[in-house]
Amino acid sequence: MSDLQRPGADWELQFVIAGCAEKRMPVEIVGSGSKRGIGRPVDGAVTITTASLRGISLYEPNELVMSARAGTPLSQVESELATRGQMLPFEPIDLGPATGAAHGSQTIGGVFATNMSGARRIQCGAARDHLIGVKGVNGRAELFQLGGRVMKNVTGYDVTRGLAGSWGTLAVMTEVTFKVIPWPETAATVIYLGLPDDLAIELLSTALTLPVEVSGAIHLQAPVAARLGHPGLRIMGKSVTALRLENFSSAVAGRKQHLKEMLKVYGKALELDHRESLEFWGELRRLSVMPNRPSLLWRISTKPTTAPKLVAAIKRYMPVEVYYDWGGALIWLEVPAADDASTAEIRRVTAIHGGHATLIRAEPAVRAAVEVFQPLDPGLERLTRGLKAAFDPAGILNPGRMYANL
Amino acid sequence: MQTNFSQKQLSNERIAEAEAILRRCVHCGLCTATCPTYVLTGDERDSPRGRIYLIKDMLEDSAPASPEVQHHVDRCLSCLSCMSTCPSGVDYMHLIDFAREYIEQTGTRPWKERAMRRLLSEVVPHPDRFRFALKLAPLGRPWVKLLRRFGFDQAAAMIELAPAVLPPSPKYEGPGVAATEDERRARVIMLAGCAQQVLRPGINDSTIRLLARHGVDVIVSAGAGCCGALTYHLGDEAGAIEFAKRNVDAWWKDIENDGEPVDAIIVNASGCGTTVKDYGHLLRNEPDYADRAARISELARDVSEFIGKYDLGAPRRWSSLRVAYHSACSLQHGQQIKEVPRELLVKAGFSVVNIPEGHICCGSAGTYNIMQPEISSQLRDRKTKNIKRVKPDVVAAGNIGCITQLSTSLDVPIVHTVELLDWAFGGPVPLGLEDLSKFVSDVPEPSKRRVNDFIHA
Amino acid sequence: MPANTCNRRMTVTIRYRLEHPIAVLLSKSMTAIGGAAILNFCTRRAAHLNFLKLEPPMTLSRMPEPDRTVLDRSEAIIGELVALLGADGIISREEGRRAFEADALTAYRQPPLAVALPRTTEDVSKLLKYCRQAGVKVVPRGAGTSLCGGATPTADSIVIGTSRMNSVLETDFVNRTITVQTGITNLAITDAVSAEGFFYAPDPSSQLACTLGGNLAMNSGGAHCLKYGVTTNNVLGLKMVLMDGEIVEINGPYLDSGGYDFMALVIGSEGQFGIITEATLKIIPRMPFARPVMLGFSSCEAAGQCVAAIIGSGIIPVAIEYMDKPAIAVAEAFAKAGYPLDVEALLIVEVEGFEDEIDRLLRAITDIARNFDPQVVEASTSTEHSDRIWKGRKAAFGAMGRISDYYCMDGTIPLARLPEVLSRIGEICAEKRLKVANVFHAGDGNLHPLILFNANDPDEAIRAEQAGAEILKLCVAVGGCLTGEHGVGIEKRDLMDIQFSPSDLAVQMRIKSIFDPHWLLNPGKVFPLPAQELGEQSAADEAA
Repeated sequence: MSDLQRPGADWELQFVIAGCAEKRMPVEIVGSGSKRGIGRPVDGAVTITTASLRGISLYEPNELVMSARAGTPLSQVESELATRGQMLPFEPIDLGPATGAAHGSQTIGGVFATNMSGARRIQCGAARDHLIGVKGVNGRAELFQLGGRVMKNVTGYDVTRGLAGSWGTLAVMTEVTFKVIPWPETAATVIYLGLPDDLAIELLSTALTLPVEVSGAIHLQAPVAARLGHPGLRIMGKSVTALRLENFSSAVAGRKQHLKEMLKVYGKALELDHRESLEFWGELRRLSVMPNRPSLLWRISTKPTTAPKLVAAIKRYMPVEVYYDWGGALIWLEVPAADDASTAEIRRVTAIHGGHATLIRAEPAVRAAVEVFQPLDPGLERLTRGLKAAFDPAGILNPGRMYANL
Repeated sequence: MQTNFSQKQLSNERIAEAEAILRRCVHCGLCTATCPTYVLTGDERDSPRGRIYLIKDMLEDSAPASPEVQHHVDRCLSCLSCMSTCPSGVDYMHLIDFAREYIEQTGTRPWKERAMRRLLSEVVPHPDRFRFALKLAPLGRPWVKLLRRFGFDQAAAMIELAPAVLPPSPKYEGPGVAATEDERRARVIMLAGCAQQVLRPGINDSTIRLLARHGVDVIVSAGAGCCGALTYHLGDEAGAIEFAKRNVDAWWKDIENDGEPVDAIIVNASGCGTTVKDYGHLLRNEPDYADRAARISELARDVSEFIGKYDLGAPRRWSSLRVAYHSACSLQHGQQIKEVPRELLVKAGFSVVNIPEGHICCGSAGTYNIMQPEISSQLRDRKTKNIKRVKPDVVAAGNIGCITQLSTSLDVPIVHTVELLDWAFGGPVPLGLEDLSKFVSDVPEPSKRRVNDFIHA
Repeated sequence: MPANTCNRRMTVTIRYRLEHPIAVLLSKSMTAIGGAAILNFCTRRAAHLNFLKLEPPMTLSRMPEPDRTVLDRSEAIIGELVALLGADGIISREEGRRAFEADALTAYRQPPLAVALPRTTEDVSKLLKYCRQAGVKVVPRGAGTSLCGGATPTADSIVIGTSRMNSVLETDFVNRTITVQTGITNLAITDAVSAEGFFYAPDPSSQLACTLGGNLAMNSGGAHCLKYGVTTNNVLGLKMVLMDGEIVEINGPYLDSGGYDFMALVIGSEGQFGIITEATLKIIPRMPFARPVMLGFSSCEAAGQCVAAIIGSGIIPVAIEYMDKPAIAVAEAFAKAGYPLDVEALLIVEVEGFEDEIDRLLRAITDIARNFDPQVVEASTSTEHSDRIWKGRKAAFGAMGRISDYYCMDGTIPLARLPEVLSRIGEICAEKRLKVANVFHAGDGNLHPLILFNANDPDEAIRAEQAGAEILKLCVAVGGCLTGEHGVGIEKRDLMDIQFSPSDLAVQMRIKSIFDPHWLLNPGKVFPLPAQELGEQSAADEAA
């Protein structure tokens, strides 16, 4: 285990990083460490955890805005929001159960650093869309503060959002400010059983073009659906296609009718009430349908209409189990373990159909050996290197976490 | 917007007026989006905002018009779409009119263009000369290609616009009074116009019939003629003033002499209507005319505007024709009459459809289709495409310019709104719609019996 | 960029800021101790202690000196451009160039060296490649509707206008995306998809004329952003030409990006990173009905409290717009929307959904509003009425031109401070003997005070600009920002160090250097001029 640093203040963090920069010592940045099992492993001489930078520094329910220190546990953020009937709009996904880390341990900084959004992304946007301000320290040990606490802000470049999804390779965030929304009064889920992938995605696309504000649109293949917690759905042995509606009760009721009417050609719909819906979507948020196993877990972004074709193409090379989220725009793909993580096949198929693939779960040795993130085009690669050098010229922050030699 | 004029410059009344107009522009740029030439060229200098800027610079410098400024001002259609869009109320119409005159006086034009402008302003406003010219046009037709090759694009465009067959002479030819047979509800003067009565005499006939049938006496004044718009938009303000004065004199006799009030001056070509409504401004510096001109501007009404205030009752004919109403720019932007003609057509029983991009000009714009054939034909084709998208049986428009322009490219007939109305209320089939008349049937005459007959039956 | 260059730059930047003697002393002792981190840390502290007070300039912002060597070559440059694009695509005569000397911020004017109007991405690539080789600066321009001088040229620059690149390339209703060229106007995007029941969400008030390219450059917002987010939240992919002519594609029709989120960086970069030529956008199914309600109040405080109460109640309307008395009067004169003319403050609150939902929401909103003693509560009666209500609101800036020239501000503030800030704005303008009208997006605290002045009176123009700077400083002081949706441009450039520390600015300027190492794109904007010159200098050093 490398030297563990737990800075409790911004200036402490600056000191640590300044020291490392001077000695060119690689630093691994973690929050709670829940995502250490994802991405390329970092061989750091020093580990900096933001765990001691915790606490909610600002919460204005009437302005729908909150600021929290980066190491604040997500659970603390969410329970504080819940006291005022509010929530994080993008429903951050918890990869812990799928990757062998503890459930519910991630920090708010980690959520934004990895830009992990859940099912509500299609309706409300991703984590990066809600990040409005950030304070952090870059690889030059400079403390900077960008964005702010107001939602509309175009003062200067949008570096704040640029840091979302940078996996701690550009800077260590010490405080994040983000937008929140009120909990909808009620939620309901409409479920169709036994649809093949292509029909299911067609159904989801149809639903998403209707003006009913579907806030979750997923499809689980039958073997995946068999791992659901809901007893009624688990035992059916059929694929599950689900749509979520959220609003005040009378609106949900009316929209549900409209939705079912428009989708009646896809068969009879089952319904989950408010409580069941919370459980069902909570389960998906924890990705418990993809439990931690030796198999590989890939995450592929593509166009909804191409998603079933892409999956069928991969299936020609290997057995697959699939959970489609975001109306088909996101594929969680489980395939058997392989030394090269089947990278060549999956990347080739993805390239043909359009999209990009990220390896989420594999043995550390595999993740160290293959390209975990989507390889970059030459033009973007040049910009990526430039961006890394601008923030972290010595290359000490999470070196190799996203791309080897970066 | 900031302007930069010296006190000496501002002592010139015309410059002071222009300065007041320029000061209102805040350079927000909204006008660019609805300007037909900017939509086509994507060039700021072909947008209202760009032209305002070019004009501002030209006036501030007190310099003769440069070829570049002249080029871009010439390309303005004066459709006034920008005035509908402009939130700050910039009086673009009077600014561009002034700029045209300024350019005419200070700029230089090649002889071909001067000759063409002279030809147009000497011929078109005079029905006899125009009719004669149209008769000659077929002689020029074989030479169109040759003319183009030698750079006489404008002459070629002119010959192509001339109708192959001249319509018959009008039924009612002024001057005179068409007295209503019904109880008289109003008394109006009608502008008989110039080119229109040669190209489509049916429009005046329909107007007179429709009005007379509904209790309106229609006077066509002796001595009145072209409204002056044509020469005005060619930059010849003095010529336009002469035409305007002649009309004011002619109409004033009818307004004063009979001792009976005149309720309105009816114009059935909206391009002319915009100009007559502006006589007050045009003649403001003519001491003998200013007051009378202002009064005449107040009395001026587009024919649809006038009828819109009247209850025409139920139509005599019923039709299922699909009418695409093309809103002439002079009507929708110049006079801000947008919905009335459409409503009249609906009340007359037609099913009216809206043309996409209705705010964009068809490229006719007075003599624009002769002077700027390239842009004009692009706009005509764009408009034609948009009209075809709504698949009408017939197109209605309130301006002879649009009718002439679009009839060369449309595969459905185009008529004046008033011709359709006249037809629906009992007039003859408008010229060109003979094939459609089978889709029109007479509404049965209401029974002469009264309520009491039923009660006592 | 080597670390030492940057450190040098940092130190210089800080000296420029440290004017208070104690701060200078501090800085010296810190430099003696050494360590960039500590120095930086102390600067930030010092800023909190109010040691640093950089007065904004008391005259109009200065523009960078034109590059003589470029001006001397102007004929040759124009010749090259004509060779690249043809005479039809280049405007080089004086009268023509002058038409491009300003955007909607006319206080700054400067004709460019030439104007180029490309038609394709390849045209743009050729132009940029040439400009990079020849060392000629480039100012990208859409429709020229920027209110902050985002497209103001410099004498030694070429304006590249995207107005001819206005086609829709692909609409994909199943995947809910549209791909367009960026010279298309914002409203034309919605027009292209509305027949199928979709719309493109960001709706800046100038949406009739402003181009998508400009929206992307400024990350534009609009009235309906309260619910749907701003431009950056509605874009999926971009095609961009870099300054060296290279064409890069950033993301695509996918919901997240593969590596770093370059799209976030590029959107809102004010045309300083490259020229975006194509974009893939999210389109959203339009709700069946939308209806605004007008709430008139006798004081701006009541209106402000009502806004906070509505949002706090858990209802998120599509839009909450605010107009004060002077603004209502001019907007009514243009749009004839039936605005109440005798109230001090008017809120336009719009909700959408199915008919019965709208009724319920409007009832809930009016119930909340009744707690603040409204003088007028009037829902729109028809679609046509709603259109007029919005037409008036959207044209309110331009309509102000009926009574006066104006200077439009764009600060954002935390909602709770609204009443206080509004009354301070009134005081600031009164001190400067100027009138002010307020039209703004109340739902997200994005203020647009319009300071009225006479552009032909130089003294008034300067007072207006001073009042504007005061107002923006006030916005930052209460926890807000300088600009919510218009961008920094030239207008707010010299106020940037009120909101940002030297290291904050350095972080941003370094990103600029990655995309545009020679600082040729959209010169003179965003960063305070001294900082820009240092940035250019260090870039030049590096190149040498």
